[in-house]
Amino acid sequence: MATTFADHLRSLTDAALGELLRLRPDLVMPVPADLSALAVRAQSRVSVARALDGLDHFTLQILDAARLTRDPDGTTSVDAVLAMAARPEARAALTRLRALFLITGPDDALHVVPGVDEVSSPYPAGLGRPAADLDAGTAALCADPARLRRTLLAAPPQARAVLDRLAAGPPVGTLTGSANAPVTWLVDNALLVRISDEAVEMPREVGLLLRRDSGPLGAVRPQPPAVTGTTRDPKTADSAGAGQAMEAVRLTEALLDALDAEPAAMLRAGGVGVRDLRRLAKAIGVEEPVAALLLEVANAAGLAGEAERSSGEPLFLPTVAYDAWRGQTLAPRWERLATAWLAMTRQASLVGQRDERDRPINALSMDVERAGAPAARQAVLEVLGELPPGTAPAPEEVLALLTWRAPRRAKGRENAHRAVLADAATLGVTGLGAVTSYGRLLAATDGEGGAADNDPLGVRAGGDSEFSEVARQLDGLLPAPVDHVLVQADLTVVVPGPPEPTLADELELVAEHESAGGASVYRVTEASIRRALDAGYTADDLHALFRRRSRTPVPQGLTYLVDDIARKHGGLRVGGAGAYIRSDDEALLVQLLADRRLTSLGLRRLAPTVLATPYQVGRLLTALREAGYPPVHEDASGAAVVARPKTRRAAVRAAAALKTEPPILTAPRLAGIVEHIRRGDAAARAARRAPVTVRAANGHGVEGLTAVQAHTQALAVLQQAVRDKALVWVGYVDAHGATASRLVRPVSIGAGYLRAEDERTEMLHTFALHRITAAVLDS
Amino acid sequence: MSGGPLIVQSDKTLLLEVDHPDAQACRMAIAPFAELERSPEHVHTYRLTPLGLWNARAAGHDAEGVVDALLRFSRYPVPHALLVDVAETMDRYGRLQLLNHPTDGLVLRGLDRAVLTEVSKSKKLAGMLGGRVDDDTIVVHPSERGRLKQALLKLGWPAEDLAGYVDGESHKIDLAFDGWTLRSYQQEAVDGFWAGGSGVVVLPCGAGKTLVGAAAMAQAQATTLILVTNTVAGRQWKRELLARTSLTEEEIGEYSGERKEIRPVTIATYQVLTARRGGAFTHLDLFNARDWGLVIYDEVHLLPAPIFRFTADLQARRRLGLTATLVREDGREGDVFSLIGPKRYDAPWKDIESQGWIAPADCTEVRVTLTDDERMAYATADQEERYRFAATARSKLPVVKALVERHKGDQILVIGAYIDQLHSLGEALDAPIVQGATTTKERERLFDEFRSGALKTLVISRVGNFSIDLPEATVAIQVSGTFGSRQEEAQRLGRVLRPKSDGRQAHFYTVVSRDTIDTEYAAHRQRFLAEQGYAYTIVDADDVLT
Repeated sequence: MATTFADHLRSLTDAALGELLRLRPDLVMPVPADLSALAVRAQSRVSVARALDGLDHFTLQILDAARLTRDPDGTTSVDAVLAMAARPEARAALTRLRALFLITGPDDALHVVPGVDEVSSPYPAGLGRPAADLDAGTAALCADPARLRRTLLAAPPQARAVLDRLAAGPPVGTLTGSANAPVTWLVDNALLVRISDEAVEMPREVGLLLRRDSGPLGAVRPQPPAVTGTTRDPKTADSAGAGQAMEAVRLTEALLDALDAEPAAMLRAGGVGVRDLRRLAKAIGVEEPVAALLLEVANAAGLAGEAERSSGEPLFLPTVAYDAWRGQTLAPRWERLATAWLAMTRQASLVGQRDERDRPINALSMDVERAGAPAARQAVLEVLGELPPGTAPAPEEVLALLTWRAPRRAKGRENAHRAVLADAATLGVTGLGAVTSYGRLLAATDGEGGAADNDPLGVRAGGDSEFSEVARQLDGLLPAPVDHVLVQADLTVVVPGPPEPTLADELELVAEHESAGGASVYRVTEASIRRALDAGYTADDLHALFRRRSRTPVPQGLTYLVDDIARKHGGLRVGGAGAYIRSDDEALLVQLLADRRLTSLGLRRLAPTVLATPYQVGRLLTALREAGYPPVHEDASGAAVVARPKTRRAAVRAAAALKTEPPILTAPRLAGIVEHIRRGDAAARAARRAPVTVRAANGHGVEGLTAVQAHTQALAVLQQAVRDKALVWVGYVDAHGATASRLVRPVSIGAGYLRAEDERTEMLHTFALHRITAAVLDS
Repeated sequence: MSGGPLIVQSDKTLLLEVDHPDAQACRMAIAPFAELERSPEHVHTYRLTPLGLWNARAAGHDAEGVVDALLRFSRYPVPHALLVDVAETMDRYGRLQLLNHPTDGLVLRGLDRAVLTEVSKSKKLAGMLGGRVDDDTIVVHPSERGRLKQALLKLGWPAEDLAGYVDGESHKIDLAFDGWTLRSYQQEAVDGFWAGGSGVVVLPCGAGKTLVGAAAMAQAQATTLILVTNTVAGRQWKRELLARTSLTEEEIGEYSGERKEIRPVTIATYQVLTARRGGAFTHLDLFNARDWGLVIYDEVHLLPAPIFRFTADLQARRRLGLTATLVREDGREGDVFSLIGPKRYDAPWKDIESQGWIAPADCTEVRVTLTDDERMAYATADQEERYRFAATARSKLPVVKALVERHKGDQILVIGAYIDQLHSLGEALDAPIVQGATTTKERERLFDEFRSGALKTLVISRVGNFSIDLPEATVAIQVSGTFGSRQEEAQRLGRVLRPKSDGRQAHFYTVVSRDTIDTEYAAHRQRFLAEQGYAYTIVDADDVLT
């Protein structure tokens, strides 16, 4: 086969060969050494599967038709295939399959590449195997069409329902525990064949007979399902999208600022924990899924990343690129987020769901990785992009179309596709459900002219002078940045539009941010003015700032507020000093300051009566004394520190005291002593009553036995005693390490404990077995 | 970009630029569903709240209209998510309705079966609902009508109350127009209230809320229970009703600590209703003493919590709430909404002022520099005593005196919070003092004298905060207050905002001690006024004294 296939490839013109490579680009990765290698690769499972993945529903149906019409030696013909499909569009589909070399050979001897059978369902078009391959009885039935028809008509309604379901495909059914009567009837009447204990298969002939109304391939859908949706004014959609885009940028900034204020800890397993995500979501006022999306996008865009705390714990926080990004205008900022979203191999909607081990999936963890995510986004945006502007399709319509276009690829991706639609709405790629004009451009430029391709090193990332097509389009919809504010008497400062970056920075410092969105509202408070003063602004700077930026007269209240706070600002000064000199004699201090011998001390006059130096007390004292001044050292409370030379001495040992006095015995103490003695006596008597082995085991060991042997022996005795309900002497070590023995009647042994009754005290005792040293039956 | 006057913020505030040519049209469009939060000179702030949106739904506005108004007037693109949220919130109102079922009495009907099922399973409604009539209808115990509405609001599914009202005992009440008419906004307020059945009318102090009440009574033609904050306010209502309606002295009863009269129109104080003997409210029978056709709540924002509980039982009677502000310092706006009713009318102060109904006020803050001794005393005072020290500084006396001199001939109120200070002020100004200990009789005598002009200057304590009516006070001087209460500031400004017979300029002075906590509290109180559009001028005491 391979040889003939290779020969066939060899016979092709360069143009035809080139066309094959264009249709199946995976064949040239890496470039094959020769045509034989190419032939092998083209027939390999992987390559064939990839070619099939790209085929639409109808083309796959035609491929199934080709597989079904094969005669025993494996060939079919164009006519046979077209006859089975019975649709005019089938010819084009067949041509396509041949161009892809999934079907080869001349018109009258078509071959389906063997790899196709390997990677597609064993039941082409949802039909079972021919009866001859399954079972002799069934083969006989199918060989007699009249009888087959009669048997079918005789099927009871429930059995008929089973048949219809299997006829629609797949032709294999699983037997469930109950209600198998209809299936049993069908198997008994040879309409179904039992292929295992739990499964039945419908023979191809039966399936074809049941499909006589719809045709052998079942319902053929040569045309993609229509997407109608609702139509909106493209301008309204653009506007809503742009509003959302602004919101997405603003939220991302707020999120990263929240991260800046308090970075999120990276979990050991990777990702950011639920608690951190919840905190961030709350901080920016969105639901957790939105926060997860923004976090993933910011990470993908390189605006946030991992760093290590000094203690070595990994943290997640904004990157240096974030600062550059913040300085840009809205449109390029949004574009950076959107392109990162398009290209990121992560599906943020998985965050918060549970993985196969039922553990929550964390944002930024490996579980969110999905290699197919970019392709899913591309596919969805492609569908949206093909619609006329302003069309907002229902999600189901989009999914249906995607399923038709590439059924093999769309399978199991419904949730991913839904997530793309939701993400696109959150990020403002779509507005009111319709793709926006700039979103269209974004989808179109991605991959061929996107920023990543033209600027792989990201050197242009900071410059917003060169707007891309997308950013230009979006910029036209966004409000122009404003450089002025409206200051009001209630001390609010309103920026009636997106502030210029410099204006935003200024306001961030001198006022508290109150409300964000299309405009920003700030409020000037005492704290914010103080903050600005701390940052180096003077009252005049602040007045000038408000005068320069405000379109309206600065209210008097604000002027007074600034002046009031500035007047008090710096009224207290705080600094560090190594030591100070104080004296009531101001003249003396002036003299010290002027003394050249003391210049090395760096003295500074804090008040007429106080000097300070950065050096420590010792050095100051020495320098002053050397210069002939008589300083006195004082401690923190102002008391003079008297310095005296220290002499070495050894530590004192207590002398032995001669005890002559008898101890004083009070009545309670005497009673206590007596009780103590009695208790000791009782214990000793009890111990004496115990057999010698038990007593001996308590600390001394029984002659001839090791401790382990003695313990084993004791357990044997105890078990016997439990059975006989006999009295037994038990020697044991109590919780304080003291040895004791007790005459008890064992009740049970188990879980490492002996439970036994002391008949004298009528109490139930529990002994840990490992503490028991000996046991002897009471004689 | 439409370049409209409105900016929609992500936190659901709406900024309206008032100097924009479309500002007025925009205000009209958004007023039904957005609540005016602040109205300083350039940019007014409105807020979209679930309550506001439901208020709008109750008044017949739909989500489509709200979204349209936002998009039409918005200067910038409106985030998609916000529009979706507005639509979803509005959609929640009216999914449940309270109706009078012909056979089963009061029922809760769900227009959305899932919602009805959801709320009927809620623990919060346990005991309020009876058996199911059919899939969409559940019987409600009539006594739970109010509490059910409260609970449903908390669950986020406010019910539309269509169960109607009892007419009450009919009583003839007419407005006596002799040389006066209802102002247009008063008429609008009454119409809004009557169409809605029950609800709250928001009008600034001095805008004639009493007349709105009287007009509502004339519309109802039924016995009326009027709840007011205190006895003086009650007498004021009585005086006004006698002057403006056909009611006679015998028809109006006073139910207060002093008198217990129940007449076709009865004015009761919150205080007497919430008075308890042995833990039990002893005057609750008043609510059932007659078959009231209308209950009027004066100063709804001060309505004490127990009254809410009684109101929950009064849901079959028409209820009118009157207030200058819906802002309650205890945050129980939701209870006002569900128990008294949605807001039916609202007008920003400035608008009414520009229509000439309220005397324009000139607000001035006079800053007094403390003497060194006072500063020292202030600096070493205990934390709790500091405000008192600062507020009652003796340095304020000459300033107050100078201000009184400056406005010689005007009716002047000097308002303070500390009795000692009031006494020294009284002495210095040679003016009588009205305080808590003053008898009602003496108080009324002084007020009458002041009203007649025989008395020019009056020193009053905190008792003057609520509902007294001094029509000819053209100057108010505030020397000390209750820390930073915004409500108090509104009330005090209300003292001078009442219409002046000759349209004179009203003055509102606040005397504060510089660089003390007094300034901070003053700033907090003034913020409220600034938000209402009244800018303060700050002057130095020296400028007043020279």
